Amino acid sequence: MQESPHPDPRGTSAPGGPGGPGGEVLSRLPGLSRRLFLGAAGGAALTGLLAACAGGAGDTAGASGSRTVPASAPGTPKTGGVLRAGSPPPPTAVDPVTMYDGSAIAIVQLVADYLIWLDRDFKLVPRLAEKWESEEGGRRWVFSLREGVTFSDGTPLNAKAVKATFDRLLDPKSKSAAAAAFDSVLAKGGIGVRGDSTVVFTLERPFSDFPYLVSAGNYNAVILKEDYAGDFTGRPVGTGPFLLESYDASSGAVFTRNPKYWEPGKPYLDGVRITFYADDQADLLALQSGEIDTQILSRPALAGPLDGVGGITVDQVQGTGLTAFTLRVDQPPFDRKEVRQAIAYALDRPGVNAGVYDGIGALGNDHLFAALFPAAPPDVPQRAKDPAKVASLLAAAGVDRLSFALTYDPPSKDYALTVQDQLKQVGIEVELDQRTSGDFYGGDQEKDTPWLFTPANLVGWAGRAVPSQFVIPMVKSGGVWNGSKYANPALDAATDAYDSATTDEERRAQAAIIAGALHEDVPVIIAVWSGAVRAYDAKRFTGVSAHPSSYVDFSSVSRL
Amino acid sequence: MRRFLLRRLAAIPLTLLAVSLLVFAATELVPGDVARTILGREAGEEAVSRLREQLGLDRPLADRYADWLSGFFTGGWGDSHTLGVPVRELVLGRLADSLVLGGLAFALLVPVAVTLGLVSGVNHDRAADRVISVTGLALGAIPEFVTGVVLLVVFAVRLRWFPASAQAPDGATISTRLGHLALPVISLVLLCTGYVARHVRAGTVAAVESPYVRAAELRGLGRARVVRRHVLRNSTVPATSALGVQLQFLLGGLVAVELLFNYPGIGALLLQSAIDKDLPTLQATAMVLGILYMLIILVADLAYRLLDPRIRLGGAAA
Repeated sequence: MQESPHPDPRGTSAPGGPGGPGGEVLSRLPGLSRRLFLGAAGGAALTGLLAACAGGAGDTAGASGSRTVPASAPGTPKTGGVLRAGSPPPPTAVDPVTMYDGSAIAIVQLVADYLIWLDRDFKLVPRLAEKWESEEGGRRWVFSLREGVTFSDGTPLNAKAVKATFDRLLDPKSKSAAAAAFDSVLAKGGIGVRGDSTVVFTLERPFSDFPYLVSAGNYNAVILKEDYAGDFTGRPVGTGPFLLESYDASSGAVFTRNPKYWEPGKPYLDGVRITFYADDQADLLALQSGEIDTQILSRPALAGPLDGVGGITVDQVQGTGLTAFTLRVDQPPFDRKEVRQAIAYALDRPGVNAGVYDGIGALGNDHLFAALFPAAPPDVPQRAKDPAKVASLLAAAGVDRLSFALTYDPPSKDYALTVQDQLKQVGIEVELDQRTSGDFYGGDQEKDTPWLFTPANLVGWAGRAVPSQFVIPMVKSGGVWNGSKYANPALDAATDAYDSATTDEERRAQAAIIAGALHEDVPVIIAVWSGAVRAYDAKRFTGVSAHPSSYVDFSSVSRL
Repeated sequence: MRRFLLRRLAAIPLTLLAVSLLVFAATELVPGDVARTILGREAGEEAVSRLREQLGLDRPLADRYADWLSGFFTGGWGDSHTLGVPVRELVLGRLADSLVLGGLAFALLVPVAVTLGLVSGVNHDRAADRVISVTGLALGAIPEFVTGVVLLVVFAVRLRWFPASAQAPDGATISTRLGHLALPVISLVLLCTGYVARHVRAGTVAAVESPYVRAAELRGLGRARVVRRHVLRNSTVPATSALGVQLQFLLGGLVAVELLFNYPGIGALLLQSAIDKDLPTLQATAMVLGILYMLIILVADLAYRLLDPRIRLGGAAA
């Protein structure tokens, strides 16, 4: 994933970040009537209730309640058919270079392709690159392109197009957030070609996980034509499984099968039709009524209860998204490690998982190595709620009565309320300071933006493909999104060593140092790693599956 | 009548100027940074400030207001900051969609509410009156998203009689389009009927108890004829302003219904552009709605006068 937290004022972001219901956003807008506020905020609860009632009354197909189903059923795929999907409208123009929301990413992923795909279990899958290997201890990476691939306009894919793609992302004028993912790893001018089908990346420093940065894990890295000029929806050319036939920012997008797609026999579908739903209740009701077959972005709390109801299946997958409960280590009261630890011991993590993540997440342990990451250290003791320890730690810090303000934006509202309630149970008072997303992420990132400068805050971070993409910006000294202002030379050194490690053993050793430091110092509390779901009509289609980053790969979807 | 109309028309430019000032000032107060919204929070400060400059957001407020106002009245509404499409096409397209939905709801609302109000007023304090009044009051008190959800769950999800989305596919026939619009129209009519019917009922009760109606009845005219000739017109006069208010709501205030039924109307656009801080779209939408509301008020006043010539408007004698 992108090396950054995920911007999502409307909760439409795909990867991992907690979805932001529109209700809270509505409530903060000036000039809106009580009727509108109630309409948006209450609608969620009511729709969920009625949806549950509707399901419980008649359909019994999914009474088992199991949420995890095979991603695809066995059997010979059938060709033909149009998959109808619902999605929030992209909040900005769909441009692969600058896109950041889940809807735009999905639209682009249907039309264009990456060098490497990131599978649901975080494995790298060759796509436009057939193979890759490192040279010079991970400082140079050589990618061999697949032969015979053409763009949808007939232009052959070659190394120059790949080089142009990454040069574009690295150009500050492009305003691509992907540039941050390559920060201190790859600079413009570091990309070369050898013939028509070999691309060479020369890095600024050894980086063992570099293939992840040029994979779908860095969602802006779709391969575009050399002369791509920015009008993607007007002139959509890619190497993906579908062709974008029409796009309307208000209503949706229509795709047809790409006859020139490089994978023989795929896609199985004749096309895909995406309808935009500005409200996720409407999206869900459309799925229930049979108007659409699947959702691009499913919210666990809304879609979960529908699993097995009326033929709807909700596929579930573990993710690496998180909500960082960030504490400023350079300011009282969080400049005392004991205070930070006390808060970490005050949290009931299973309660957070159940209340905020609908139980689909995995418990966090206040470090940045999710269990999905191969280097995750297995021996850091799981932190759990311990009121006695909270009291002793606060006493050791000389704090009689702890109270503080917690700043957050609407998508983190449930998390904030849960934290407030849980800390109150151990005598810690939390004053909630909810801002609009615009305000929370506004301001200057180097001076005053609330998400990086308030004493305690909640920030939703999208899932990442590699832990470095959390560690470097979030907790490394001077990291670009280091809201805790944490600085630890030992962690910095271990982070550098992790990135340049050439063996799994070495990588695991450095991961243990990083995780141990974060677990002990608690600059950020990671209570739960989020999961992801995708709801679809299993009576009509197979091959639809959830993805940790809500990505779409409909090339293997077929009708039943 | 002519003098009234001329005076009202002459006031429009001044009102529009005031509306434009309010719209511009209010939209500037919406929190958030449009450049940050467009690029996402992960974008660097350099990229954000470059975009801010490109969009002209670093220019003085007065200059931006003057440019925007002249642009609005000369048709140059600019491009949406977030979607990159021309604002005029976007806003007018959404307005047209809202006019269809609101117009249909209004066309159904008027006969239903007037009929129910008449029946209620003619039978005041009887069982029919109580049933209509209580039902209307109850439906009016329930927010449209609640009735909308119930309609959706029953008629779209369970029975599948109507589509869940109000948005028909491209190339759909008129009957298909009407089918898509059925549920949102019904939910709006259910919401508004009670309010309008109450006003019609009040006018009807007053008319029924008036001396001229009693005199007509004493002259031996039948009940139906009395209602048709003497009660109907007088009972709808008090409802005119109520219908004007409802029309304003139906044409621009349908955010919850538009969202719930996935209808790309102007209310949803107003909300979304405020969330995204898409200033050109937000300002144009607000101005268009302001103009629309002014026109509705003018038409309502004219209708008021036409229905009852005794009413003096603006202090002028008829």
